[in-house]
Order: sequence, then structure tokens, then C-alpha cells
Amino acid sequence: MAGATRPTTVRERVSDADVSAGRLLLVAAGVLFWGWLLVSWVNRWLGGVVVPVGDPLVAPGLVEGALASLPALATYASDAAFVVQLTPNLAQGTWLTVVITGVSLVVGFFLAVPLAVARVYGRFSAWLSLAYTELLRGTPLLAQLFVLYYGLNLGRYVPGALSGVFPRDVVWVAILGFTLNGAAYQAEYIRGAVESVDEGQITAGRAIGLSKVESIYHVVLPQALRYAIPSWTNEFVYLIKYSSLAAFITVPELYYRADQVASETFRYTLIFVVTGAMYLALVITASKLMERVDDRVAIPGLGAARER
Amino acid sequence: MSDSDDGFLRVSDVSKWYGDEQVLHDVSFEMSRGDVTVLIGPSGSGKSTMLRCVNRLAEAQEGSILLDGEEVLSPDLDVDDLRREVGMVFQGFNLFAHLSAVGNVALGPRRVLGLSEREARERAEAQLERVGLGDQLDSYPAELSGGQQQRVGIARALAMEPKLMLFDEPTSALDPELIGEVLEVMHGLVDEGMTMLVVTHEMSFAREVADEIVFLDDGRVVERGPPDQLFERPEKERTGRFLERIASHD
Ligand SMILES: Nc1ncnc2c1ncn2[C@@H]1O[C@H](COP(=O)(O)OP(=O)(O)O)[C@@H](O)[C@H]1O
Ligand SMILES: [Mg+2]
Repeated sequence: MAGATRPTTVRERVSDADVSAGRLLLVAAGVLFWGWLLVSWVNRWLGGVVVPVGDPLVAPGLVEGALASLPALATYASDAAFVVQLTPNLAQGTWLTVVITGVSLVVGFFLAVPLAVARVYGRFSAWLSLAYTELLRGTPLLAQLFVLYYGLNLGRYVPGALSGVFPRDVVWVAILGFTLNGAAYQAEYIRGAVESVDEGQITAGRAIGLSKVESIYHVVLPQALRYAIPSWTNEFVYLIKYSSLAAFITVPELYYRADQVASETFRYTLIFVVTGAMYLALVITASKLMERVDDRVAIPGLGAARER
Repeated sequence: MSDSDDGFLRVSDVSKWYGDEQVLHDVSFEMSRGDVTVLIGPSGSGKSTMLRCVNRLAEAQEGSILLDGEEVLSPDLDVDDLRREVGMVFQGFNLFAHLSAVGNVALGPRRVLGLSEREARERAEAQLERVGLGDQLDSYPAELSGGQQQRVGIARALAMEPKLMLFDEPTSALDPELIGEVLEVMHGLVDEGMTMLVVTHEMSFAREVADEIVFLDDGRVVERGPPDQLFERPEKERTGRFLERIASHD
């Protein structure tokens, strides 16, 4: 690379320093956020090994006292204590947000790949896939959740044995809804990537004796799924935020809990700023994670998909 | 070589339509084992289509193609079996972009022939050595020059141990200085006795190695014969004009 030997300008050095300071800050915030979440979750699962279940990891009084002693921050002391008081509740809600998003995304992915392949290479199945995708993308997600929840009353069919795993059976309904809906969106992103793979690739696969399905599996998909990563990450990010719609079918995830506390305490602004920051942290984690995946699987000589 | 016609490849009256457009008209020619036949003709004359009919990447609607006594055009034929035995090299290389040189060459042996991971890799390495790329085993297509990519393409086809190799303008996409290395590999294959059906505009190569030249125009065989005859004393005026045009481009 030519840049490696060229002396850096002062401006570049300054901006490099900015970038690494920003990076450090981001990493620190990430460690704090995920450290807090993990310790809170483990504490709850193990029945309160760190602090009694339901208590914040740090006593609100302690935080309030510390801030009050600093003149610049004294005005925020009681707000901070209020937020700290909320943290166990928020951590518990975030657990469900993460589970719903993660499971829906992964299961949805395994539906989306065949849907995308069918769209590009199928005949009758292309039509079916299109119909599915249009139906799921063309109707409101909330309406879909309501149909599953009220219309089909799916919550009733969930075996009781599993209700210990998640606090409410409605979680399964939400996961089903987000899986089916997310699969349609994921399929659109993956379809675009499948179409971008040169036709000569499949021809070459067929020419060495691979069947069409084998060519798709061994040749087209490994490329398409790499190319799909940047746009697919959008769906990941959307799903994190859309998972808040689960609140409307009474799933006690992050948004539901925030809304509940806000309506009890009327501190809407503070609570939703904090909740928003938590969604933001999840979203940034997701996009940073996918950037790393993109780099990891980059094809030598071609580079990461997002840079192409 | 071609004196004793053993009917290894016998193309008879092959016709092919794309929709209403007939792109091959009763094409016939035959090859013996170890023969090199070069297909020449203007762009759009049906050379690629003819080649693709032989490994059924394109479907001829009429005629017959007998390969080693078997009817290639038979609807009962397992096309994957056929393609295992007929290697193809493409103008645009068509290397699997996500796989290293070894990965490209090993995919067929691994997934089609069912060799173990190790056997497939060993075979791939041997084939890459054969085309002079023993030092680029783990390079990816995007890291290789066009000439190197095409040699990987040839190694990929050879790794299936085909009994017939199809070359569709293997050097047309290459910078002039990279053509030589690919032709050299092809020369090597000729010397080893590989049966090759080649579409190319490299007339000196054709003259040197071909047993027969087939001149296609507008989907029809205009003329065919040994290179000396076809190049020196073409019978048809069209052949002469085409050869002149090609020569003036070189
Ligand atoms: N997949 C296809 N669909 C429709 N027409 C095609 C297709 N492939 C080739 N053709 C047409 O068939 C004719 C012969 O093409 P081709 O075999 O590629 O010629 P050549 O290789 O000699 O340049 C051309 O008129 C071309 O437009
Ligand atoms: Mg062609």
C-alpha cells in the first residue's frame, strides 16, 4: 500500500488519535453495558448471588450521594438514583429483547435462504416465495402479531413445561411473529445478493458435474451470503427495534417494562431516554459484530462486502 | 491421428433454436480420440452454443451427438455424469470467486467424485502443478492475473480426469502478454494426447495443433478440413474472407 510509506500529516495524526479515543470510549461503554447486563442476568438465574434478586447492582443511595458531592453533577443526583433503581427491571426486559431478536433472526435466516433461492431459481416455488414475501412485508407487523396472539390464540398451545424457561408463553408467539416477518425481509436482502452472483459461477459449477442445487449450495450461496452481510445487518438492526412491538401482546421485554414504569411514575422523558440508549447500545453491538463477521469472511483480493 | 476415424465424438445434423431463432443448422463433424478440433467463425456464429450442446449446458433440439458411443442428447442421459467426463474452460474463466486456487480445483473431486478432503486437495495440488501454479495454491481468483486464473480454470477441468476437453475462447479475455502461458498449457495437453474441441481466434495455435478446423458461419458448417488445406486453399469464398479479416486483426 502506498499510504504505508508516506509520512502522515499532522491532521491525519490528530484524526487518528480522535478515532482511537472514540474507539476506546465505545469499547469501554460496551464493556460496561454488557458487563452490567450479564452480571444482572446471572445474578437473577442463580437466585441472587451478587445482590438480592430485584436489587440494583449498585445501591441507588450510593450513586445519589456520590453525585450530590460533586457540584457540577449535583442537580442530576436524584434522577441518577431513580435510573439506578430501574436497572434490574430494565436488565430483565433486555434479556427478553435479546432472546426474541436473536432467536427470530436465526430461525428466520434459515427460512429466508430457501425463500431467496426459490425466488431466483424456482418456478412455482418462486411464485410461492413472492406471495409469502409480499404478504408479510405488505401488512403491518403489529397486525401480524395480533393475528397470531388474538386470532389464533397461539399462547394457549404452548406446553406448560416450557413456561419456566421464559416468563410468559406470549414470548413464543412474539418469536413466531418476528421469525415469519423477519424471514420475508431477510429473504429480500439475500435475494438481491443471490442475483448479484455472476451467472457464470453456476454454469461453471454445472460444468464440473454439480447439480443445480449443489451449485447453488457450494458456489452461489457462499458468495451471496457474504455479499448480503451489509444489507442483512439492516434487518438485524430493525428487528432489535421492532421487537419492542412485542409489548403490545404483553411480552414483558424492554419497551414494555419501560412503558409500565413510565405510566406509574410519569417520568416518561427520563425513562425513554434511558431505554432508547439501551436500544442504541444493542444496535451498535449488532452492527459492530456484523462488521467483524464481514471482515472475518472477506474473500482475499475482494475485501469485505461493505467496502465493495 | 485422425486418419483412423474411431467415432469418439460424432456430431450429426445438430440443430438448435433459441425461441424462434435457429442458431445451429445441421452441424456435423467428428473427432477421434486424441484429436484436436478447432472451431472458428465470426462472433455470433454459434461456436459457444455448439460447444455447450456437447456437455448439455445448452439443449440441441435436433440431431445426434455420440460421445464414445453414447447418445449425449438422449433425454435419459444423466447430464451430471456426462459433465464429469467432459471438461470445460470458459472465456471469462468463471472461477469460484470465494475459493482459493486449490479450492476451485478440489471442489469437483470432493463433491462430484466423492474423494476425501485430503485426496481432493492432493489431486488439486497435482493439477495446479501441472499448469505451472504450484506456487499459487492458496491464492484467490481476485489475487491472480488473468493468465493464472485461466490456468486454474484448466486445472479445475482436468481434475475431473475428463475424456474430452472443451475450450471456449480461453485466451480472448486475456491481455496479449498473458496469452502465451495459457497456450503453452494447452500445447502440453495436446502433447499428452488429450482430446480437445477448441474455439479460438489464435490461428497460429490452430494451425500448429489442430487435426481439423471447422469453420462455422451463421450456425452452419461452411467448410472443414485439415489446417493446411483450410488456411492455404479454402474452398469457400466466405472462409477466405473470414481468415483474411482475422489475419488483419493480428
Ligand atoms: N442463452 C441464449 N439465449 C438466446 N440467444 C442466445 C443465447 N446464447 C446465444 N444466443 C444467440 O445464439 C447465437 C450464437 O451465439 P454463440 O453461440 O454465443 O456464438 P459465438 O460463440 O460463435 O459468438 C447468437 O445469435 C446469440 O445471440
Ligand atoms: Mg462464444
